[in-house]
Amino acid sequence: MTDTATRPIADAPPRTTGARGGVAARLASGPLPWLLPAVAMLGLFYLYPVIEAVRLAFTDARLFDTETAFSMRSVSSLAGSSTLGTILRNTLSYTVASVVGQIALGLAIALLVVRAERARLRGTLVLRTIVLAAWVIPAIANGIIWQLLFSEAPFGAINSALRMAGVAPVAWLSDPGNAMLSAVIATIWQGTAYSMILLYAALKTIDTALYEAAAIDAARPWERFWFITLPHLRPALLVNAILILIMTLNMFDTILALTGGGPGRATEILSLYAYGTVFQNFELGRGAALSMLLLVISLTLTALLTLLLPQERR
Amino acid sequence: MAKLDLSAITKSFGATRVLDQVSLSVPDREFVVVVGPSGCGKSTLLRIVAGLEAASAGEVLLDDRPVSQLSPGQRNVAMVFQNYALYPHLTVAANIGFGLRRARMRRAEKREAVARVARLLEIEPLLNRRPGALSGGQRQRVAMGRAIIRNPAVFLFDEPLSNLDARLRMQMRSEIRALHRAVPTTTLYVTHDQIEAMTMADRVVVMNGGRIEQIGTPTEVYSAPRTTFVAGFIGMPSINMIPARYRGDALELPSTTLPVPAAVKPRLAGHAGRDLLVGLRPEHLDIRPGGDGLVAEVDQIEPTGSETLVYLDHPAMRLSARTAPDTALSPGMQVGLRLLLERASFFDAETGLNLVPPPSNLTGELTA
Ligand SMILES: Nc1ncnc2c1ncn2[C@@H]1O[C@H](COP(=O)(O)OP(=O)(O)OP(=O)(O)O)[C@@H](O)[C@H]1O
Ligand SMILES: [Mg+2]
Repeated sequence: MTDTATRPIADAPPRTTGARGGVAARLASGPLPWLLPAVAMLGLFYLYPVIEAVRLAFTDARLFDTETAFSMRSVSSLAGSSTLGTILRNTLSYTVASVVGQIALGLAIALLVVRAERARLRGTLVLRTIVLAAWVIPAIANGIIWQLLFSEAPFGAINSALRMAGVAPVAWLSDPGNAMLSAVIATIWQGTAYSMILLYAALKTIDTALYEAAAIDAARPWERFWFITLPHLRPALLVNAILILIMTLNMFDTILALTGGGPGRATEILSLYAYGTVFQNFELGRGAALSMLLLVISLTLTALLTLLLPQERR
Repeated sequence: MAKLDLSAITKSFGATRVLDQVSLSVPDREFVVVVGPSGCGKSTLLRIVAGLEAASAGEVLLDDRPVSQLSPGQRNVAMVFQNYALYPHLTVAANIGFGLRRARMRRAEKREAVARVARLLEIEPLLNRRPGALSGGQRQRVAMGRAIIRNPAVFLFDEPLSNLDARLRMQMRSEIRALHRAVPTTTLYVTHDQIEAMTMADRVVVMNGGRIEQIGTPTEVYSAPRTTFVAGFIGMPSINMIPARYRGDALELPSTTLPVPAAVKPRLAGHAGRDLLVGLRPEHLDIRPGGDGLVAEVDQIEPTGSETLVYLDHPAMRLSARTAPDTALSPGMQVGLRLLLERASFFDAETGLNLVPPPSNLTGELTA
């Protein structure tokens, strides 16, 4: 392989097996050797833990108990669990609200920044950096920050501001109805930066002449958005949706720090529930089964969204 | 249908002045080609007319009505962009019909209008395709279709052919002209290609460095260039510029002195003793093997089939001449040149201005 690799490309006719190339050259013309390193890495660090989790899901393993027996209890206990129903409903509303919110807000800010740049306004770089700063903060710190902001104690920033404005304070975290909203706000605040950067990059690739042509065709703002911006952003929006969906489904540190899943189970989502099952109740088998459920949900939704991506013609 | 007037348009980007007092008057239905080297401000001028850019000073008038306060969509102009700017996610039919979105027409009428334009441009089979699946020439036609369907007051073209290969460019040149005959619309057409300017224009506007150098018919700018810039920019191969001095009925040229024909004398009257430039087109240099008058050495011979171009070296300059294809010249030969001074343009070497102002009027009024 080395001797074909060092030969200048122009000299190397494609797919020939010269006397010097031999087996190496024939192998190199197939996909296998190129895929092998990636397959090995993924297999070792991703696939093996997944297989291990599947195995654990069918045991009665406990966290500090090394003696395990195969059992269907972990899986079957999920089937009729009313707690799980609540958890799934929480997960659904939390995920949908967060994902839609992050994409919508990220898109809005990206459009604003691009618009400002076209108008040659100052400060767009600062704005982008500030938004991005939220993304750099660890999720657990984000949870703590928002806990301080939402705090119903006298020093709670948001309630203090409301009080100064003459509005009655809101039970942001202690009211079960508001707690989910607060969790969603904290998540959107942090995740928006990611959408913004992704969509900003996509917006920058749109040929400005299209907008000029539209201006000459007397297109209104919504028409420019609908006929030019949105179709162009479609792939980026879908990829963005997939990534954010997975991140949000797996998000638990922000909520852990913000509400700990409470009050009651009001903000407990699947990832947090699985975490609690393993690390607070030590039910490793059941936790593994919950993780499997999370994996299946993630994969299904990802597959559905991937179907919407524009297919390249073969 | 409209008359387009530009009055003293000036445009600066920061400290750089890109357009300087550009005035131009285009009568209804005229096809005007703006030509000039890269960066001379042609696109900027077009964009100001379209309303995509605001002039720093001056006014654009459509049918004597100032339009500076109007948005591009309100001006009723149509523009064909250099890269076509077709909406990539709409079909060809939707692209062409885009301008009819709000027209008070029934759906069937709109479809009929699109079909009519497609027929005119011979792109009917492509109506259901996306722009991505079209060739450059086809995109070009769709872009024109999108422009003409709106029946605009003014057509604006910004180097629409520069992305096409030579053969297609030639074909599209005559198609655009044919289209203009079929749908006579006031047109401002920008290009840096002087052949496009010469072949397509009713009138040519030659620009340089943000200023208009000359406005005239193709023949006028070719045979009576107002400045040395116009003389050098129009015509391929470039005009020969021979430094000279007019002295007592004779022209002193490098290494020779020529008597001035009686017909030329009035044009040189009053310029005795001045440094001049004699502009002679390659077809106005006669090669005489053996040689008399100006003597130069043949450097390079370029047969084009219908004629042969001869490039010559003279100690003071480089010259080119157009000859019949059956020339017996070969590189290295010493030849004499006869200059057809009756056909020459004479420029003041200092100002670069033609001594005899050409018949066309720089301010752009048509000379009746
Ligand atoms: N937005 C802008 N900001 C600053 N300078 C600009 C801007 N647009 C154009 N210019 C400058 O104005 C000058 C004229 O530009 P313009 O695009 O009108 O040239 P052009 O004649 O169309 O050239 P080309 O044949 O290359 O298209 C150039 O020097 C260009 O650098
Ligand atoms: Mg240009």
